[in-house]
Amino acid sequence: MHLAIEQVAKSFGSVVALDNVSLGVDTGEFVCLLGPSGCGKTTLLRIIAGLLTMDSGRLTLAGRDLTQVPARLRGFGIVFQSYSLFPNMSVAANIGYGLKLRGTPTADIAKRVNDLLALIKLPQIADRYPWELSGGQQQRVALARAIAADPALLLLDEPLSALDAKVRAELREEIRDLQRRLGIPTVMVTHDQEEALTLADRIVCMSRGRIEQAGTPADLYARPTTRFVADFMGVSNLIEPSRLSALLPQLMQDYPGGDQLLCLRPEHLAVRPGTLGKVMSTTFLGNITRLKLDTPLGMLVAELPGQADFAPGDGIDIAPDPARGAWVAA
Amino acid sequence: MTAVSAVAPRVTPLARERADRIFDLACLWIPAAALLLFFVYPIGMMGYRSLLLPDGSLGFGNFSQIIGSRSFLRALVNSLTMGLATTAVTVALGLLLAFALHRCRLWLRIVLLGAISLPVIAPSLVQGLGLIFLLGRNGLINKTFGLQVEIYGFWGLLIANSLYALPQAAMIIGAALRNADARLFEAAEVMGATGWRRFIDLTLPNIRFGLLSATFVVFTVTITDFGNAAVIGGDYTVLAIEIYNQVIGQMNLNLGAVVGMLLLLPTVLAFYFERLATQRQFGTQSEAAVPYRPGHDPWRDGIIGTLAWLVALAPVTVVGVVVYASFMRLWPYRLDFTLRHYDIKLAGGYDPLWISIGISAAAAGFGTIFLLFLGVALKRLGGPAARAIYFVSMLPAAVPGLVLGLAYVFAFNQPGTPLILLYGSAALLAMCNFYHYHTQGFATMTTGLRQIPPALEEAATCIGASAWAVLRDVYIPYTLPTLISVFFFLFMSSMVTLSAVIFLVTPNLMLAAVTVMRLDEGGYTAQAAAFSTAIMLVVTAALLLARGTLWLAQRRIRLSAEA
Repeated sequence: MHLAIEQVAKSFGSVVALDNVSLGVDTGEFVCLLGPSGCGKTTLLRIIAGLLTMDSGRLTLAGRDLTQVPARLRGFGIVFQSYSLFPNMSVAANIGYGLKLRGTPTADIAKRVNDLLALIKLPQIADRYPWELSGGQQQRVALARAIAADPALLLLDEPLSALDAKVRAELREEIRDLQRRLGIPTVMVTHDQEEALTLADRIVCMSRGRIEQAGTPADLYARPTTRFVADFMGVSNLIEPSRLSALLPQLMQDYPGGDQLLCLRPEHLAVRPGTLGKVMSTTFLGNITRLKLDTPLGMLVAELPGQADFAPGDGIDIAPDPARGAWVAA
Repeated sequence: MTAVSAVAPRVTPLARERADRIFDLACLWIPAAALLLFFVYPIGMMGYRSLLLPDGSLGFGNFSQIIGSRSFLRALVNSLTMGLATTAVTVALGLLLAFALHRCRLWLRIVLLGAISLPVIAPSLVQGLGLIFLLGRNGLINKTFGLQVEIYGFWGLLIANSLYALPQAAMIIGAALRNADARLFEAAEVMGATGWRRFIDLTLPNIRFGLLSATFVVFTVTITDFGNAAVIGGDYTVLAIEIYNQVIGQMNLNLGAVVGMLLLLPTVLAFYFERLATQRQFGTQSEAAVPYRPGHDPWRDGIIGTLAWLVALAPVTVVGVVVYASFMRLWPYRLDFTLRHYDIKLAGGYDPLWISIGISAAAAGFGTIFLLFLGVALKRLGGPAARAIYFVSMLPAAVPGLVLGLAYVFAFNQPGTPLILLYGSAALLAMCNFYHYHTQGFATMTTGLRQIPPALEEAATCIGASAWAVLRDVYIPYTLPTLISVFFFLFMSSMVTLSAVIFLVTPNLMLAAVTVMRLDEGGYTAQAAAFSTAIMLVVTAALLLARGTLWLAQRRIRLSAEA
């Protein structure tokens, strides 16, 4: 394990921001801390960076204890949501600042800056100032600045949230490529599940200061273990076992017992004309059609490919795929 | 016989619209006309007089004559030297204090802020007076230790001017420091920058306009200050004293006008840089910027905090010693408590204090109403005329009080014009004080008015409120805290100012700050201290009253927002 976080706790007054969180980041791994605002993800990132002290716990990097090491000696790179380029420095000076602090010879800095500018596909802007750049360009420069001094760990604090949708999608792919190519272990904070799904090797879903579930994006989507994760990672139908056993007993095979709900994703719900329930509304979204269904199992959402032949009021039956369901803690 | 039962509207829509239009225009043009008469016209007259030669023709003869004169050159060199020295000291200390206030975690931060703001509530010559009590020939230090320290002259004036300008420097630099994005500093920290590197590489470059602005403001305040130069300058003659001697001493008005015009130069530059500083602080700020909060750093807080408290001790000591000495029987020989210095019979006793209070209240009352009308009119009306008036409204800050007072002499001491009626009147003094501090009041007012939600005004208008009703029911209730702030700012500034009114007072119409100077000139230093203390008491009372009413007004707004 490259970075190891063990039993980290942090409170602000009476508010518990982190409740004994443990987590590891492997060499070259891209980890996303995902959760709603106030879940503790940013606090955890700031503790890793050294910008915040923890109340208790341990932080090690390749076996070395970081707990007492100040932020500036940790050798990490960081990118914030607000681009936070130094307004008084040119793009080149911004990118080369970390190297300058380490006493790197000027010629070497210049060469490194040029390489990085080529890497972020902005070779012509070395002499410009931050206020002359667009938001997307500024964030690319911030990324170059963060990786300039070969950081042991790259920290990204909602780096795409301030950008508009198109630039965000572009930059998302570039961050992904860059991270894969350079193999820098990375921790990113985001509240956008789509961002987490496309970027992360591993998603750490957090809620109220605790890790709800950690795993690959496919894992978290297909096999959520808690109701929170099922809700947060996309749309889900959560069905109570008492209703299931009467109507769809075949789905009860894997019921582990206890206070659990069955999570069925809308795209895994086959719909055909029938009498079990009826269509409440249909929404055409281009590649799919979303149906709202009123059934004895509760209100369900189904997504069918293309344009579906249903209209509000039509009677329907549903045929869920038992292999696709996941039991989550209520 | 038919009864007309339809209810006729009291005011037809067309008449209503016309009434509103007239109201708006009156709101704009009455204060604008006053601005022209009491600010633009005097400055123009001074410019004209500076070019008017003894034979009645126009030219630069006065300028060449003044620049060639020995006494002027000496005063110029002295003023520039003093300006540069004071600026160097004050900006450095101002940066220290601002840094302590905004970038450190200090104990009793609010007390430190109060201590360094102390000179704001005192007439400008109090610093000089306090220094004389401490370090003068009959000062505490010389008598106690049997020394012969000479405080009159360069060093005394340097200390007094620095104390006087320090609050302004600390405030301007503080405003620049406050607008920092915390993320910048965190990014630098993670990249490996120490606290010192962050200060050199980030803090200093990003407050450069603030520093530049503070430099010009301090320089301007120093070379145009009159009170301290008169009290403690001794033989070290500066331009402000030279103007006073030319105009009051030798009735050499045209040459006075020339020095006045020359004094406008640095202040116009200072004004320009201050505008630049407020616009360009920290370049472009992104929406997601997070305000900087100083973290825990015992070394930084310990060292900077200690130095800041040591600096803050100076104004407290100097102002404190004036208050203390005013109660002592014979400073510094017989230090027993007495109230006899407060029994002032000379120079009309306490009449000047009451006159000052009256004139300051008039300046503040009139000023607040004019500024409200002007602000509302500029908000409602657009167009080139409104923009021009906005620009002129911001200009008075670029004119030092001394120059404004002098300009009033040229504009209103004109026999044969109706304006002579104003000369020597209390009304003119009130107007002079108001326009002296016009810019700061105007800026506060426009900021306050900008916070009114536009929808509120539109809603009121759609319901059918007239322009006057909108002013009464929307603007005034919403801007009440702003109105209170502007009123007390004008009142307190008028109470302590000396430089503008020194040219306009008459023996029958004496002001408090001028009385302090006269008492000191006459050798009645203990009475001067007592009178200063009385002024400070009035200003402090006004300050407390301002805080109290502000608290009440804000509470009312809070309560109505919650209801």
